Amino acid sequence: MGQFGKIFLFELKGYLKNKIFVGITVFLMVVIAVVTSIPRISAALNEGDDGDTVESGERDVMLVSGADGEIIDALAAAFPDYDVRAGSGDVKAEVIGGNAACAVELHGLSDFVYYVDNLAIYDETAAAVSEVLTGLSRLRAMVEAGVSPEDAQGIMSSAVGFTVESLGVDQGQNFFYTYIMIFALYMVILLYGQMVATNVATEKSSRAMELLVTSARPTSMMFGKVVASCTAGLLQLLCVFGSALAFYKLNSGYMGGWEMISMFFDMPPALLGWMLVFFVLGFFIYAFLYGAVGSTASKLEDINTSTMPINMLFVMGFIVVVIAMTSGSVDNPMMVACSYIPFTSPMAMFTRIAMSHPALWEILLSVAVLLGSCVGVGVLAAKIYRVGVLLYGASPKLRDIIKAVKNA
Amino acid sequence: MRLELRDIHKSFGEKKVLTGVSFTARSGRAFGLLGRNGAGKTTSIRILMGVFPADSGAVLVDGEPIDYRKVGIGYLPEERGLYPKKKIIEQLVYFAQLKGMDTPAAVKSVDRWLERLGMAEYRNKRLDTLSKGNQQKIQLVTALAHDPEIVILDEPFSGLDPVNAMLLKDVVREEIARGKVVLFSSHQMSYIEEFCDSIAIINKGVVVLTGDLHEIKREYPRDRLAIRSADSGKIAAAFPGSAVNDSGELVVRLQNPGEKMAVLRRLSEEFDIDEVRVFEPSLNDIFVEYAGERE
Repeated sequence: MGQFGKIFLFELKGYLKNKIFVGITVFLMVVIAVVTSIPRISAALNEGDDGDTVESGERDVMLVSGADGEIIDALAAAFPDYDVRAGSGDVKAEVIGGNAACAVELHGLSDFVYYVDNLAIYDETAAAVSEVLTGLSRLRAMVEAGVSPEDAQGIMSSAVGFTVESLGVDQGQNFFYTYIMIFALYMVILLYGQMVATNVATEKSSRAMELLVTSARPTSMMFGKVVASCTAGLLQLLCVFGSALAFYKLNSGYMGGWEMISMFFDMPPALLGWMLVFFVLGFFIYAFLYGAVGSTASKLEDINTSTMPINMLFVMGFIVVVIAMTSGSVDNPMMVACSYIPFTSPMAMFTRIAMSHPALWEILLSVAVLLGSCVGVGVLAAKIYRVGVLLYGASPKLRDIIKAVKNA
Repeated sequence: MRLELRDIHKSFGEKKVLTGVSFTARSGRAFGLLGRNGAGKTTSIRILMGVFPADSGAVLVDGEPIDYRKVGIGYLPEERGLYPKKKIIEQLVYFAQLKGMDTPAAVKSVDRWLERLGMAEYRNKRLDTLSKGNQQKIQLVTALAHDPEIVILDEPFSGLDPVNAMLLKDVVREEIARGKVVLFSSHQMSYIEEFCDSIAIINKGVVVLTGDLHEIKREYPRDRLAIRSADSGKIAAAFPGSAVNDSGELVVRLQNPGEKMAVLRRLSEEFDIDEVRVFEPSLNDIFVEYAGERE
């Protein structure tokens, strides 16, 4: 086993023994377990609720004033959850007094006031009442104009049927899992990148570096660390998404009506493969940068300011991608350009693959550019590392580092 | 084995750090590398260890360019530091592995050294739970566990109590006896004087003095007398250019070594003398003379 292997194992063990790392992973797995079990839990709770309702026969009361029997019947048919009753007098007071959940005060068929105690965000009762009344008034108008009630019903219930067939990808469906994947990539690169930088800076500030530089080649150090942190990151993602998949399968019988969750697991396997490619390469290129920056910091406190430019670059790429995703035009010129720039391509190209259909050569070109840049950045980072770790004192200026790397 | 630095030059940017540094250390002997802070000792050591290359010059082992895959080097850096949060056995084995040992051999050797230094009980403790002196001993293991041919010790005695210093001295003597090239770098001249047969004094990147310590001392002109006397003041007035040294002796410089007897006679006749001897410089005196003057 070469130096790289030894460094890799030592660093990986460091991650796996880190209590915070293990804690976060377990926490995420528990959250996933709870979230994927919500449909099952709510189904169990609803079952109980329904039983109660049937036994007591109590439903919320909807009072309707100024309406004839036909309107009451129509509303009762439209709101099976309500006990729709004809009200008289001050229905508003009844709602305030708590005798009714809501009330509709009709002023003819063309106007009504809807009273409700607290208006919920998704309360569509008023719109539904309006629809029922509109239908009724049109029906009555037609009957008045001489159409037979049966014909009028037929006209009212006719509708135009249609089906949608997406020939490319369904952006609506893909949006959700693309977003989750991009966000996972974003989180993991930022978190682990910072960890690599901190790891290097800690070795430097604890002066373990004095021994390390005389014991191991800087390229072995850099690649060992980065590959170890990438492996740790992938392991963590595997745990989280693996447990998500397991719990999804476990609860799949209860997922009806929870399309958001189902959609995520309907991701095509090829996309998962591309995800892995872009994840690993994207991780590497940023981790190298973070490692190099970490080696130039003399104190741990400097890490935050030193890594700022990398964070900015990364966040900018993320924003471009998210804007393109939400606007739906993932193939806009900005995105096309970004999918060939190594620092933005992991997110940009992946998004295009998921939500559009770039040609294979485009994908391969993007991967090739990214791969080449990864190797280049890795070698450069190892050089900066070798020079950086021996520079103490004030944080060196970029110019000094370039000069030192040239001299080394 | 003969370890030689030959005509090493090194600059960092505009700043010239080493100018033609040359010295030779031999196995079975200890070599002292002396110099003031910033003189270029650490840079010389780093070049010797291949951390970065010299601009010109060569590091030779028995006349051939050094091959780091074959020649093991152990290093105790002046700036001590390991992983504070990791178990001692884990990090020591890791460093031995980086130096090319396989895991079982590394564990065995580390355990042997922990035993030798009386640190076996701390094997599974975290480094930051140890006292500073004990951390130093742990650090020493990183320099020795892989049984290197060349051992470089930078200020090995700083921070050690007298008992631990004694232990370290024994260890160093053993390593020398086992035929290792031991390279010392220190400001504590007494230790260098005790161990080192050869020295090199570096000042501002230039080797100003190198060779066998005994010869250096013998070749020193014997033209000074060290005097203990109640009449120091009067003697100083009678012999211009004399000065009191660190040990409180008055050092009188002779015009030439030949007039020694005449001066002795005159001193004993004219002054109340407790003790007179021919002044032989200590390493400290030599160091101050060579490293101090060129300020």
